[in-house]
Order: sequence, then structure tokens, then C-alpha cells
Amino acid sequence: MSEPILEMSDVSKRYRTAGGFGRGRKGFLAVDGVSLHVERGEALGLVGESGSGKSTLARMANGLVVPTSGTVRTDGQDVAGLSRRGLRRLRRNVAMVFQDPLASLNPLQTVRQTLENVFRAHGETTSTAELVALLESVGLGADYLGRYPHEASGGQLQRVAVARALALKPDLIIADEPTSALDVSVRAQILNLLADLQRDQGISFLHVSHDLAVIRLYSDRVAVMQRGRIVETGPSDEIFRSPQHPCTRALVEATPEAELPA
Amino acid sequence: MPDPVLQVEDLCVSFTSGGVTADVVRDLSVRLDGGRTLAVVGESGSGKTITGRAIMRLLPRGASARGRIVVAGREMLSADERELRRARGSDVAMVFQDSMSALSPYLDIGAHIAQAVRLHDPSVTRRAARARAVEMLDRVGIPEPANAVCRFPHEFSGGMRQRAVIAMALVNRPALLIADEPTTALDVTVQAQILALLRELQQEYGMAMLLISHDFGVVGSVADDVLVLYAGRQAEYGSLRDIFDQPAHPYTVGLRAATPRLDARLDTGGERTRLRAIPGAPTSLRDAGPGCAFAPRCGLADQVGERCVVETPLPTVRPTSESGGLHLAACHLDRLPALQEVAR
Repeated sequence: MSEPILEMSDVSKRYRTAGGFGRGRKGFLAVDGVSLHVERGEALGLVGESGSGKSTLARMANGLVVPTSGTVRTDGQDVAGLSRRGLRRLRRNVAMVFQDPLASLNPLQTVRQTLENVFRAHGETTSTAELVALLESVGLGADYLGRYPHEASGGQLQRVAVARALALKPDLIIADEPTSALDVSVRAQILNLLADLQRDQGISFLHVSHDLAVIRLYSDRVAVMQRGRIVETGPSDEIFRSPQHPCTRALVEATPEAELPA
Repeated sequence: MPDPVLQVEDLCVSFTSGGVTADVVRDLSVRLDGGRTLAVVGESGSGKTITGRAIMRLLPRGASARGRIVVAGREMLSADERELRRARGSDVAMVFQDSMSALSPYLDIGAHIAQAVRLHDPSVTRRAARARAVEMLDRVGIPEPANAVCRFPHEFSGGMRQRAVIAMALVNRPALLIADEPTTALDVTVQAQILALLRELQQEYGMAMLLISHDFGVVGSVADDVLVLYAGRQAEYGSLRDIFDQPAHPYTVGLRAATPRLDARLDTGGERTRLRAIPGAPTSLRDAGPGCAFAPRCGLADQVGERCVVETPLPTVRPTSESGGLHLAACHLDRLPALQEVAR
């Protein structure tokens, strides 16, 4: 079997807290000895309540957050040992999609500039035809190239953000609440798009969400986080059919269903 | 039949900017009795928040409302400032999504609630108002209420803050509570607690509740009746059961089909299901021309043809499973075909 695209062993992150306010001088342990892996072509869903450490964990996968202890191996490389240049190479391969597309796109740049910059940052050139093909792969027309972020809707912007993530053909996409800021009808479009990318292009996903129904729909495996630790992990179907840990059970039970009892 | 707590007739809300006037809500009529919950469902730009604010007469600058709004017998649109002050809080109160911006960072929790008490009854002493605050915090499930009154908003978690805001809204026992996405910013487990609390207090006080939400899951767990808005107009209105079991508007069907469900994959024997997305993005009334605002995104508009593009559909009566129930839908199709065709 080939090496997992992402492997984290015994990873911890302690944030220093200013002036020892609230949590004491030791700081705040956001992630506490977590081990986790994502196989190639797999979608792993990471769920948990706010403050459970899921975003911190996801950001350690591509070096945006440096772990206090433990090792992160992405695509076979130890992230901690990477130089600036190495990190940049890593990020070609590990792209990220954030929750708020308006905040993650530069308001002063057109979609064309935003996409071109990705190539430029990695020392590559690109053609209009390539950019158009990129936009088409996320369901947008060529006319979006000339638009600024304020000229597009939230769903369209999130498609641009996905196109930017896809630009350099990554093996892993980290999606941190990619649909939480979107309208219900548009959310479904983006979720379907991400599911298609996994199926058709074999891209692996680490999908962070607080919404169990979203995670269930498009993760092969699920890891449940609580207070910095993974308390339960397993195949998506099993976790939701028979949740074992009290935290998972509480989450499943609290999720309101758009269904009436018969 | 008793008088309804809330009656809205032909409400239109329009914004004027740069000499141009545009409607954001048009021809909305709603009736809500005490002890019942009406969920207003819609996406961004549907006019759901503006409708809630129009009822409170808390419209932003440049917006004006026409039509008729009656809350507990009081005409809200013709009321002067003094009357409005009396109505807000004692007849109708509101809970917003973001509890932090609903509270002053400079005042402790007790002061917020005591202020609400004394504003409506200046004869209450400070000490008595403070005691009411403690009582109210206890009622909304805040532990150690006698200590909690002295806490400041930033010392509370999001769920506790929302409880405090609910205490503030309900301390004068309003006949109507408008809750605008009250749990959207909260974790699911906390959301379930807050929804349960709202339901419980509503039963106890017999108040009417207007719940504004984009989430059919939330709606399904608290609403008696549902109003679905699209681009500022009523798309569908009916009992929760009618809306869920026999929806009559393609948008309602599409919205539900686009909502991820926890049991989704159990139905299909483990096969991964795709959500049925509605193509395009929500429009607002501002951008809509003649015809049905949903037509450009509707999978059924082809079946009707020209009419959807040129003629705005009016709400008409649809079959209901409730005795004496009212089920309305604004669609040119009298009967919807199977789900597969509606949501493509």
C-alpha cells in the first residue's frame, strides 16, 4: 500500500496566552497528542464543536500552524524539517479552501489576477486557455476572469476559491468549513463540486466542519474531536449508525433533521 | 376565533437610495395566534430579516413599509415613537443571531435585564428590578443566577449569552417574540438546548413566536406553521406537515432536497448520494423583472412555458391534511410532479 498523503503522529499545539488571562501561564492546549492519517484519494471528515481544535489541526497539515510537538508528514515529507522553499513546494501539493470566500480573495484583484498569482508564486506561467479551463472545471464561465470579488455572489466566489486551490493540481485539499457561509441552495452545489473532484481527479480531502450532515454526505472516514483530542474515528457509515463516544452521540442527537417523525 | 397576536396585511417594504426605489418585500400577509410558532424560511435577500424588523418598526434608514401590521391590537405602522417604545419589549421583543452585539460590553448582565424592566414600569425599584433579573436568569437555565447577574457579556459563552438575551427579551412577557436566526452562531448541542428553551418558555407564557431561519432542520423541530419566502414574496405557506409532506412550490421542494441529512446514506445502502442542488444563486426582488422570481432556477418552468416569465404567480389555496388548515403556494403549476423532476 502506498504511503498516506497526510500522516500526523502524536501532534500537539499549545498556544501561549497573553498575560496569563483565564487559562493560566501554561497557555492553552488546543491540540493534545493527536494521531491521524488521510489515505490517498480518501475524504476524511473532521467534526467537533467550536474550540475543539479542528481548525488548528487542519492548519498544521500544510505548515500554516507549527506544532509544539509531534510530527506531521505530508506526502512523505516531514513538514517540520522544511525550509521556506520546501514549504512553498509543499503548498503546491496541499491547497486550502476557507470558510469565507470574500475574506480569502483580494478585493482589489480580478479573478484572473488571483489565479495568475498562484502560478507566479510557484514560478510558472499560464495561458488564458488554461485559466478558462480551470474556471470551467468549477462550473464558471470565461466571463468571470475579468470580475472583481464584489461582482460575484458568495457561491461563485467559493467556486473561484476552489479553482485557486485546484490551479496547481494538488493531491490534498484542506477545506475548513467551505460551505458554512453559503446559502442552502448554493451549499449543495459546492458540496457536489468537491465530491466530484474527489471522485474524478482522485484528490484527497481533509474536510473540517461542525455540520454532521455535511460530513456524513461526503466523507469516507470521520474523526470526532473534543477538547483537542480525537475521541472517535471510523468509517462514516459506522460512526453515524452507531456512535460510541458520548461526544459523538451528543452531536448526532443534537443535529436537527429536516424530517418529521412518522 | 380569538384575535391573532400578529396580523400582517399586504406588507411592502421598499428601499430608496439615489432617487431609486426598490421593493424588498412585496404583498406579504401573515396571521399568527398566541402559543404558536411561525417559521419564516428563506435565503439571503429573501426579505425574512427585513420582515421581522418591519414588525418591530426597526427598519434601516432609507427603508419604508406600507400595508398593515397589527401586534396585540396595536397598529405598528401608524404608531408614534412613544407608542412604539411601549410596544417594543412588552408587546413584541426580538432576539438576534449575534448575542454579543445585542449586549453592551460596559453593562453587567443584570443591568441589561433590570433596565428592560424599569423602562416599562418606572415604579419598580432598582432592587426589585435586579431581583427580577436573577429570577429571569434562573428561568432561562443560567446556573448560579445570583452571581451571574454581576457578570459581563464577555465572561459568558455564546450559548449563555443567548440565554441572557432571551431573558432580557422575555422579562416583560411580550405577546410576540421574533427570533432572527437565534441559534445560527451556536454549536449544535447548544442549539438544541436553546431551541428547547424557547419552546418551553413559549408554552409557559402562551406567546406567539416568529422564528426566522434558513435551516429546515431547525424549522422542523420548533415550527407549527411555515412561511417560505423567495425574493421578497411569499412562495409557500402552510402547516409544518403540509410543507414537509406535500410541498406545493418547486422552491420549497428544491430547498429541502438541497439540505444535507444525517440519515442520507442509510437510505441508499451506503452508496454516496449527491445533493440535489438548485442551479444559480438566490435573487432579490430588486433584480427580479416581471414573472416568477424563481423561474430562472426552476426545473419546472419549461413545463408551464411563457406564463412563468410574464406573469407573477399569486398565492392560491392548495390541498391540506389539517382540518381547517390553510395551505398556499404561489406557483402556476396546480400540482407538482415527482421530486426527481422538480429538483434536477
